[in-house]
Parts: sequence; C-alpha cells; structure tokens
Amino acid sequence: MHKVIHSASIKSALAARGWTQDQLAVAVGESAQVVSNWLQGKNFPRPAKLLKLATTLQLGFDQLVMPEADQPVIAFRKKGGAKTTDEHIHKAMAMAALLKPLVAYLPERRALRTLLPTPTTDYALLQSAVAQVRRKLGIGPASVLRYERLIDEFRDNDAFLVPVLWGEKQNHKNALHILLTSDKVTFVYLNLDTHLEDFKFWMAHELAHVYTPELAGKDEGEDFADAFAGALLFPQACADGTYAKALQARNAAAMTQVLLDAAHEHTISLNTVYLQVQAYSQAKGLKPLPVKGRQIHAVRNSMRDGLVSRALFAASPPDANELIEATNHVFRSDFFVAMRQLLHEHGTGAGYLQQVLDMGLQDATALHVALVGDSAR
Amino acid sequence: MTTLVLLDTNAYLRLAKRVRPLLGKKFGQKDYVLAVLKDVQNEVLRQPRLQYLYPWFDADELLAQERLRNTIKLSKNEKATLDAAASVLHGIVLMDLQRFMKHRRSPPSYTDCRVLAFGQIRPAVVVTDDLAMHELADLTGSGDVWHGHELLKKMLSAKLIDNDLVRAIYAALEANTLDGSSDLPASWPRVKHIAFLKVFGQSTAP
Repeated sequence: MHKVIHSASIKSALAARGWTQDQLAVAVGESAQVVSNWLQGKNFPRPAKLLKLATTLQLGFDQLVMPEADQPVIAFRKKGGAKTTDEHIHKAMAMAALLKPLVAYLPERRALRTLLPTPTTDYALLQSAVAQVRRKLGIGPASVLRYERLIDEFRDNDAFLVPVLWGEKQNHKNALHILLTSDKVTFVYLNLDTHLEDFKFWMAHELAHVYTPELAGKDEGEDFADAFAGALLFPQACADGTYAKALQARNAAAMTQVLLDAAHEHTISLNTVYLQVQAYSQAKGLKPLPVKGRQIHAVRNSMRDGLVSRALFAASPPDANELIEATNHVFRSDFFVAMRQLLHEHGTGAGYLQQVLDMGLQDATALHVALVGDSAR
Repeated sequence: MTTLVLLDTNAYLRLAKRVRPLLGKKFGQKDYVLAVLKDVQNEVLRQPRLQYLYPWFDADELLAQERLRNTIKLSKNEKATLDAAASVLHGIVLMDLQRFMKHRRSPPSYTDCRVLAFGQIRPAVVVTDDLAMHELADLTGSGDVWHGHELLKKMLSAKLIDNDLVRAIYAALEANTLDGSSDLPASWPRVKHIAFLKVFGQSTAP
C-alpha cells in the first residue's frame, strides 16, 4: 500500500502557524530535504516521525495522510432520533479497515450481480423495479417475501450478513453497511436485538444498498432504501387488495385491524403496511384511508413484537456457539467460517473480534474460544 | 514532577478491587501516580457484560469517587495534541494491521491508542499486558510501557502493597477463568519465580 503525505493540509497548517518547512524539519528532528521529500510524495515518514508530525502540527491521521482512492462506503441504519457523529464514522471506517484481512478467506466473488441503475422513489417506477426483483426472487406480485429468499439474495450478491447483538437501546445503529469498494465485498451488520416486525424491513433496506452501491452512505440512498424496502415487502398488488378491504371496514378500529392482519401475514410492521397503502392510494388518485398516522403509531407502540434475538436463541445473550451456528445456517453467511480460518492462520487474539464486531471484550473472548479453542488476552 | 502511570482497562479491572487506595497516591523514587483515563472508564461503562462481570466498577461508591477525584483535566492544547496523536497511532495500526494480528495479538483499539498517546502530552507510563500495545509503542517510540507484573513489582518495592497481596492477586487471576480462558496474562507466570522470588520462592517446575 503506497501512502502519501497530505501536503496541502500540512502546508496549510504551516501557513496558519507562520512556519516554514525548515522550521517544521527542526521541530520533528529531520533534515529539510527529508521533509521536502515527504511533502513531494517521494517518501513517507516512518511511524515515529508521523506521530511527531501529528503532535507538532496537531493534525489527525486523515489530515496528515492522503486517503486511498477506493475508500470504503459506510451506511448506518440509525435508531430513531440517533445522531451520527464523526466518532461513529471513524469507528465504522476502522471496522472497514479491520475487515480487509478477512476478504482473503471469503468464498470467491461472483461474476454476476444485481444492480439497479436508475434508483428512484417515483411510485410507478419503483413498483416496476420491485416487480422485477420479485420475479428474480421467484415470488409472485402479492406473495409474502420470506426471510430465506432475502437471505439468499444477499449471498448471491457477495454481501455477507453479520448478525450482532448490539442491545435494544445502547447502540446508535441497528444495521451497518460496509462496502469495501476495492474488494467488491459488502458486509451487512444486523442487530438481532431488534423487534421482529422491523427486522425484515431493515434487511430489505440493506438489500437496496447492495443493489445501489453508488448511493449507499448518501441521504438519497437512505431515502431510496426506505422506499424500496416498503415497496418490495408490500408491493402494489398487496396494497391494492388491502386498500379495498380496509375501505369496507365499519370504523377506524376495524380498518386498522385489516392493516394489522396484512402486517402479520407479511411479518412486517403495521406502519409499513399503512404507508404503502397510503402511497398506493395517492399514486392512483384515490381517497386516502381515513386513519391518521398517529393512530397507527399508537396501535403499533401498544403491541410491539419480541426481539429477533429472543426468537432465535434460548438465552440472552446467546452462547457464542449458538451465534456462530445461527450465522452459518440461519443467515447462511460465511462470515464466521472465514473468521475461523483467519484467526487460526494469523493467530489473532480476541481483541480483533471485539473491534470488528463492535462488541465487549468478554463476549469477544467467548466467541474467540468458540472459534479457535482458546483465547489470548 | 510526578509521572502518571496509566492503567488500561484490563490492568485497572485486575487491580482496582484488590489494591486500595489505588489511584492518585505517589509511590516510588520517581513519584509515580496511578491513573485511569476517562476513555477507559467509558469503555467499561458502555459494555453491559463488563458491567455484569465487574458490578463493583459502577456500584462501589468509594472506587467511583476515587476515579472522579483523580480525573485528569486537560487543557485545550493538550486535548488537541492528544486527539491528533491518538488518531495517528490508530491510523498507523490500521495501515499495518497484519503486524498486530499475529502471535495471539490483536490490533490496538482507538481507546488503546488514546491511552498510549497520553505520553505525548505528559510524562506517563502505560500499564498493559496487551503485547500489541507494547509493539505499537516500540514502533512509534511513544513512551514507556510496562506489563502489569512490572507495576506490581514497583508497587511492592515501594511498599504500596505487600507479599500477601501479590500472592492474593496472582491467585485470584489464576483462579479467574472465563469461557475456559485464564485471566492471568501470559507474561505473568514467566516472571512469577524471578521478579517475585521472595514472594513465591524458587520454581518447582522442571
């Protein structure tokens, strides 16, 4: 990996201090020629000198070193109201860097992948796109999209699912999408401490990022992924039937029950069904259902499903072996298969797992023991 | 002038319950003062399982007060230098990951790097049994790093702890296993009958 010093940033820091390159050279204990070579990209400072540059100029790594051409792409599925800070982004970028050594142990990449070349939130165009995706997945226009088909679709597109237990409230994100652009591999972290009714939507949302890599990490990418997920899980054919049925209901409660029945059938949230039916009525120029969004939220909040982790595992938190088994067989992901090989071959300790999975050291130690037999602290 | 002796998460968790008072007290000829950075405390507090395994961390009022009393206050300038140094140390790790991923080691985390970076702003020694941290300190020339047993030895020499406590700490760490893995760092058994000859005597192992 050829690294180059960020000369523009350093020159700007020097100018702000009123320093010359020669003064910088004296401050970091190098000759003027050496510093000049760094700034011209001919040489790169040794680690001790890079640290000296950082403390002398008070510049962080990103300001001192030019970023690589193929930076990873990060997209968070945030919890409601959570704010993404620079710290969150740095942490996710560090996770991306830590994932790179794992790539060599993953199965060979596929030559063919699904891409949506013109992602849009326009109702008719979006419905056309999800109809094609549904046909590709082998399901009818109004059929329930089963988890198995979704999971296989990630696999078919070199997106490796990484189930994690980030807690129901403690973490700022419920899913994290990391695309290693240079390796053309995607890792999709899914928090299993998530309500069942939301989980399929988030998976569909993440699938949208996989189909539209150029939009991942951007605001429009998030908007598209939300629109795509709702439309894929509850497309026009479903919305059409539910709208007609709901209109026959005698009152708002009965109408809500029609929506709830559809939500249960598709194992998605009441809110998703409501939004899709309303979007359908609007696109078709029909009268919207006379149910307010806040009524839907009130019903939804009064009858939340359990957590995915509770449904999958006997105990919470689950035994490390259970998590590995679920990753391998339920999520059909080679993540831990590759991880086991990497840990064996490199002799890497539990702290690596702690960081790459953003988990506690004790949990990482248990996972490390389950993967390689024993653990180094 | 005092020299801060900064404990990483594991070093603190291994000692805090058993050595009291631990933080803020001067010892040794160089006036060492033990400290634990806020970053380390945050690491424990944000991990539910660490809190579950070490409930006293939060629940023990005396320890919490001791940490609060000994919080290190940084000037704006020191904070800027610390942030820059930690960022670069972590960047160096991520640039050269393979170096830190062998021999049962793990790449130092950002919190580890902040602890190590502290030596760039104040006279400080870092106490860690994480060998990758030792390697990073060597690679970057970023200051003194001790193993936990080296700290124990210095505390013993300064009469901050006695032979019984050294024996008790070794025994507790040997007995403390999690998921089949001992809490005793790999380097500690090697020095048990050398650095602590007067405590444990000669080794009887062949």
